[in-house]
Amino acid sequence: MGFWLELAASGLITGGIYAVVAIGLNLQYGLMRIMNISHGEFLMLGAYLTWLAHTTLQTNPIVFLPVVALALFVLGLVVYRLCFQRIARTAPAVEVIEARSLLVGFGLMFFVQNAVYLAWGADLRGYSFMAEPVDILGARFMANRLLVFGVAVAASLGLLALLRWTMIGKAVRAMMQSPTGAQLVGVDTGILHPVVFGAGLALAGVAGSLLSMVYEISPSMGEPYTITALIVITLGGLGSAIGSLLGGFLLGLVEAFGMHFTNPSLKMVLSYGVLVAVLLARPRGLFAR
Amino acid sequence: MKRSTAIKEIAVALTAAAMLAPAAAAFAQDVRIGYAIARTGPWAAGSQVTQEPNYIMWAEQINAAGGLNVGGKKRKIELIGLDDRSNMETVVRSYEKLMTSDKVDLILPPWGTGANFAIMPLAQKHGYPMLSCTATGRKLVAMKNPYFFALLQQPDIMMDALAEYMVARKVKTATVIHVDELFGLEQFTALEASMKAKGIQILEKKSYPLGIKDLSPVLKDMQAKKPDAFIGLTYPPGTFLSTGQSKAIGFNPKIFYLAVGTAFPVYRDKMTPATVEGVMGLGTWNPKSGAAAQAYFDAHVKRWKKEPDRWASAHCWAGLQILQAAVEKVGLDRKKIRDYIANTTHNTVIGEMRFKGSENVSTPGVVSQWQSGEFEVVWPPQRATSVALFPKPNWK
Repeated sequence: MGFWLELAASGLITGGIYAVVAIGLNLQYGLMRIMNISHGEFLMLGAYLTWLAHTTLQTNPIVFLPVVALALFVLGLVVYRLCFQRIARTAPAVEVIEARSLLVGFGLMFFVQNAVYLAWGADLRGYSFMAEPVDILGARFMANRLLVFGVAVAASLGLLALLRWTMIGKAVRAMMQSPTGAQLVGVDTGILHPVVFGAGLALAGVAGSLLSMVYEISPSMGEPYTITALIVITLGGLGSAIGSLLGGFLLGLVEAFGMHFTNPSLKMVLSYGVLVAVLLARPRGLFAR
Repeated sequence: MKRSTAIKEIAVALTAAAMLAPAAAAFAQDVRIGYAIARTGPWAAGSQVTQEPNYIMWAEQINAAGGLNVGGKKRKIELIGLDDRSNMETVVRSYEKLMTSDKVDLILPPWGTGANFAIMPLAQKHGYPMLSCTATGRKLVAMKNPYFFALLQQPDIMMDALAEYMVARKVKTATVIHVDELFGLEQFTALEASMKAKGIQILEKKSYPLGIKDLSPVLKDMQAKKPDAFIGLTYPPGTFLSTGQSKAIGFNPKIFYLAVGTAFPVYRDKMTPATVEGVMGLGTWNPKSGAAAQAYFDAHVKRWKKEPDRWASAHCWAGLQILQAAVEKVGLDRKKIRDYIANTTHNTVIGEMRFKGSENVSTPGVVSQWQSGEFEVVWPPQRATSVALFPKPNWK
């Protein structure tokens, strides 16, 4: 593989990591306007669960993915019931949901992070999994990064298909356009709302689980990922599954080529530069309708 | 109405309890030692490996032996540890409170070059000696603060040792990455000077920000230049990342050197001992360095069920040993403690230590290397616990 293709591939793979981090938040914020600023914390929780299962029970992290997803889904239902249900029901407008959920999210962030500190301490943790180079057309990539990339693409496309072509997807979109209207045509928003929130948390957990295979983990790892997720979903257009996938790819590519031509230190300038440029050209994001 | 009254009553009771508890716990004769350190936030990963476990273990050991010998009388140690939340402002405010309103007898230093730098003026103003074990940088030493003592080797000492090792192995070229933090910049400046002095050519250098998720484009560029050595002046995330990605692309120069985090046991555990075989980095010691080092290592593993890191952990322990000896010699007069620290050759877990100004001038620059799961000291020869693997074996 030529040098440029190789550079592009490594950019796309990193972009896949960004995309996978963003999918869960895209459901919660993009579709439901619940500004769950503690997104990264639940991602971290998924990473810790996977690490714990792998180091104590020698569970295969891939096999464990559905368990993490289910655990965080259930946790999501509980968190929704305790923290967000009232906000969603009493808020007169979506803007109010955003503002109020932001505050609750901050509280959750501290709560979850400190709970993990109490449980496992502040030490860096990690395990080695699929840390073997894989040859693709002469270029070498780490197997675990390729896995993250694959899951990012599959999950984004799956979500896209779900939202676009199934009744559930239609109901979710209807609920976002007009909660009252959706109820009038028989959509049970009382069930759908918590389920979508729970699915968002489940995806955050899956992302964390995948990242724990690639990077070292610590209780403070979540916050930067929340920022990444916000940039990616804003770039791609709120609520657009394909938008956040392509948004992630765009960021990854810009960084990879930027790093080659300039210096990695300019990473932040480059990523925010792309965000500003996209927002100037398309204020609602690349794929917003 | 009733419910809110009950809540109020509980709140009042809790507040009263919180106010009374410290007063009741602190007996007048306890030696009160205060510090603020990161238990949460991004610094915690370093401070909770290298520093606070040592503080707690030290106080426990002394208290188990009856207490600290102050003027012939054994007095228990009461540690007043605060969480600085990895926030510089909280560090400064906490130490100010400890020194002025809590009036603790002694302080222990916070974690990291930046935080130590931030409280140096306070230490001088209120006359508290600080034996800093995770602060390094000529800038700090150049402040000539009489109450500040830097236990780690200075960047130029460490980089000179690396350069000497490279010369001994006839290494001619290197590529360098460094993290965009005060630490990385200081180390790079020192490295550049050492390399120039020894005639080693730096083919390429790049800096990177702390939160980076992909270094492979940079590593590939460097691989294409075929350097003899790769030197990463990294913090832990960059240390893990460049190891994994260099392995992925098969970038395997004769010397592969990384900075902070290389000495952490979790680095070996996360990357696997086979992968890190031959990786070099900043270190000072390991259990084989001597009987004292072995005893410290065993005590740490027994108390915490985890190994100390092979660089700054032992420097922290050395700082505590020095403080203990000082108090036992001159009591709790902090001016006298300072003078004792400044003018004595100390016997510590990492060997003899003497200060010139703020600088530890006894501990030499050291190069360590992972070999079969232990971070062996391989340079200088008089400190070596093993012979260096050169060239670095292939990634496994």
